[in-house]
Amino acid sequence: MDALLSVRDLAVHYRTAVGPVRAVDGASFDVPARSIVGLVGESGCGKSTLGRALMGVMPRSASIAAGSAVFEGRDLVTLSPAERRKLLWRRMAFVPQTAMNALDPVQRLGAQMLEVLVERGGLSRAAAGARAAELFALVGLDAGRLRDWPHQFSGGMRQRASIALALALNPALLIADEPVTALDVIVQRQVLDVMRELQSRLGLSMILVTHDVAVVAYACDRVVVMYAGRVVESGPVRAVLEAPLHPYTMGLMNAFPDLERAGGELVPIEGSPPSLLHPPAGCRFAARCPFVSSRCTEDPVLVEQSADHHVACWRAAEAPALRPLASEATTWSNIAKDATWSR
Amino acid sequence: MVAMIAANDLVKAFPASRRMRDVLRGHRPVLRAVNGVSLEVAAGRALGIVGESGCGKTTTARLLLRLEEATSGTVLFEGQNVSALRGAALLPFRSRVQLVFQNPFDAMNPRFTIRRSLTEPLRNFGLAPEEWEARIREAMARVRLDPPEAYLDRHPHELSGGQLQRVVLARALVTHPRAIIADEPVSMLDVSVRAGVLNVLRRARDELQLAAIYISHDLALIRYVCEDVAVMYLGRIVESGPTAEVIAAPAHPYTRALVAAVPVPRVDQDRGDLPIKGGLPDQMNQPSGCAFRDRCPAAFARCAEEAPPLRTIAPGRHAACHLA
Ligand SMILES: Nc1ncnc2c1ncn2[C@@H]1O[C@H](COP(=O)(O)OP(=O)(O)OP(=O)(O)O)[C@@H](O)[C@H]1O
Ligand SMILES: Nc1ncnc2c1ncn2[C@@H]1O[C@H](COP(=O)(O)OP(=O)(O)OP(=O)(O)O)[C@@H](O)[C@H]1O
Ligand code: SF4
Ligand code: SF4
Ligand SMILES: [Mg+2]
Ligand SMILES: [Mg+2]
Repeated sequence: MDALLSVRDLAVHYRTAVGPVRAVDGASFDVPARSIVGLVGESGCGKSTLGRALMGVMPRSASIAAGSAVFEGRDLVTLSPAERRKLLWRRMAFVPQTAMNALDPVQRLGAQMLEVLVERGGLSRAAAGARAAELFALVGLDAGRLRDWPHQFSGGMRQRASIALALALNPALLIADEPVTALDVIVQRQVLDVMRELQSRLGLSMILVTHDVAVVAYACDRVVVMYAGRVVESGPVRAVLEAPLHPYTMGLMNAFPDLERAGGELVPIEGSPPSLLHPPAGCRFAARCPFVSSRCTEDPVLVEQSADHHVACWRAAEAPALRPLASEATTWSNIAKDATWSR
Repeated sequence: MVAMIAANDLVKAFPASRRMRDVLRGHRPVLRAVNGVSLEVAAGRALGIVGESGCGKTTTARLLLRLEEATSGTVLFEGQNVSALRGAALLPFRSRVQLVFQNPFDAMNPRFTIRRSLTEPLRNFGLAPEEWEARIREAMARVRLDPPEAYLDRHPHELSGGQLQRVVLARALVTHPRAIIADEPVSMLDVSVRAGVLNVLRRARDELQLAAIYISHDLALIRYVCEDVAVMYLGRIVESGPTAEVIAAPAHPYTRALVAAVPVPRVDQDRGDLPIKGGLPDQMNQPSGCAFRDRCPAAFARCAEEAPPLRTIAPGRHAACHLA
């Protein structure tokens, strides 16, 4: 496969007073060229940590503990800081989770764009001015608005502006962390449409971090499902969302209210993810999994169950039989009764 | 049948940021965050209020709860006008109509145990202390936090977001209210735990025959918990009716765009262009005639001249559009 980025067994730990937090603990997946990959999972499962580690913009307490991430033929993990800096913004760019609120409120947007283009890209001021107008047009903003202050921009416009900033130097890979989470549905759709359009027009690849499977279904070609620091399932969106192999993915799909699916009770996944300070041995989903078996005390490995569809679950082969059970609320509530997750 | 809670032509005008020029000319521009909203909810029913950010949903809720003074219009509770009540006269109303906040972590005092947080409203309500424990247990059971002992002596930080939002709900239910107003009750929660809280909301409404109002910008969620829906645009209700009917056949062009924008967790979905242009207009410079005119794909000459009133278009259904 023609992968732009290949992540293998990546582990990212935070040093804390009480011990290392294993925020990413053995993540493997590919980002093919010219595709949008959705990275989904519950709050705290390590999505932002993974995105930041790939970009090389981590807090001091974080470090890559193991694994590799081969991007355009070079392992990001072993590159020197100087070499990484050369890639940052030029080959890979980032829209952080709080980008929308990170625009400097006392500087006009145009000035902020110019600064980035001159400093990061070494463009002359004249060239930078023209490029800024081009970038605004690219994300569907009127170039005249470069003279505006950030507070004159709505949430959707600010998010478009932060995407434009990230694309300034024509990267091959864009990592966008929850780019539409704070937006309401109409604006969310408009921003997702801009991202899809950019992807096909510029031929770039994107990692779109989100907790919303509906956003993945709408905007992504592939999906990587994370749980407690691990990748538990990955593959083309159609395969993963229509025929999930991992019980957690099945649960995520059933927990979601669907505009077109009438009535019935929603099916919650009872409990909450384990602490990443002391992750449990064996399958990390076991405490919440209705299909747990004796084998699950052993760590399931991520395997290619069917063509290009990867899963880490001992019972993946039985998935077709488990899926109907997973759509019943009682299947999940029964385990909640005897589980001791309540913290 | 008398509605449990009703609003008549509510208006809330906030003073808008004033420029020196306006002040010198004696202008006092106002922003009509809520601009003539009428609604009613009967016992055992739930009304959803949807609309884009800034359309006035939260302000409407605050007016209904009398947390904000209306510029004009009235709020009726069990058929009684409560708009003129002040101070102590408001207390019975306050314990009967409860609010559930968006963020459970902000809603709870972090230093109080769950038991103390649930006791406080009962004390304020004037219930005899010997009845407190039973009430608390009943409320905890209703939100499916059992056994209650496992939670009552903990502090908020010792619970997950979903558990804490259920505690917030238990606190709202402990005084046996008649109506509940929830502003984005699950938007801060993870998808996997949202479902549990929504189920609890729905059951509590049925079991206690509450009149419920849920605010959200997510129609899929409203569809799940509310049989009726009101769609707001720039401070006005532009469409209302049974949720299933409104979603299946929206009458207002804005509702059509909202329905089309809701992402569904399925791969084969329509990726056609949204039937709406641009973003919300400047609230202080709304177009003449129909306020939706500059974004409406169906706008025609009359829309610039005449504001469409909210009128009945079918039994139980209302829309404010010349074409509806
Ligand atoms: N600086 C830090 N020091 C220690 N632990 C951290 C730090 N930053 C994050 N963590 C922990 O690492 C884990 C993963 O966090 P991360 O922000 O990557 O999650 P996420 O999947 O992006 O969540 P969300 O959806 O809430 O943004 C969490 O348990 C979090 O508490
Ligand atoms: N105290 C206030 N003073 C001035 N303007 C206000 C005040 N409260 C709200 N507004 C304005 O009234 C309008 C409606 O706000 P409101 O919070 O009711 O919207 P909303 O529909 O709840 O939006 P969201 O979905 O973002 O919560 C907005 O333009 C807001 O800026
Ligand atoms: S490995 Fe076992 S516990 Fe883990 S998801 Fe599969 S069945 Fe459930
Ligand atoms: S009245 Fe005219 S502008 Fe307003 S929604 Fe109807 S068609 Fe569109
Ligand atoms: Mg994050
Ligand atoms: Mg609000």
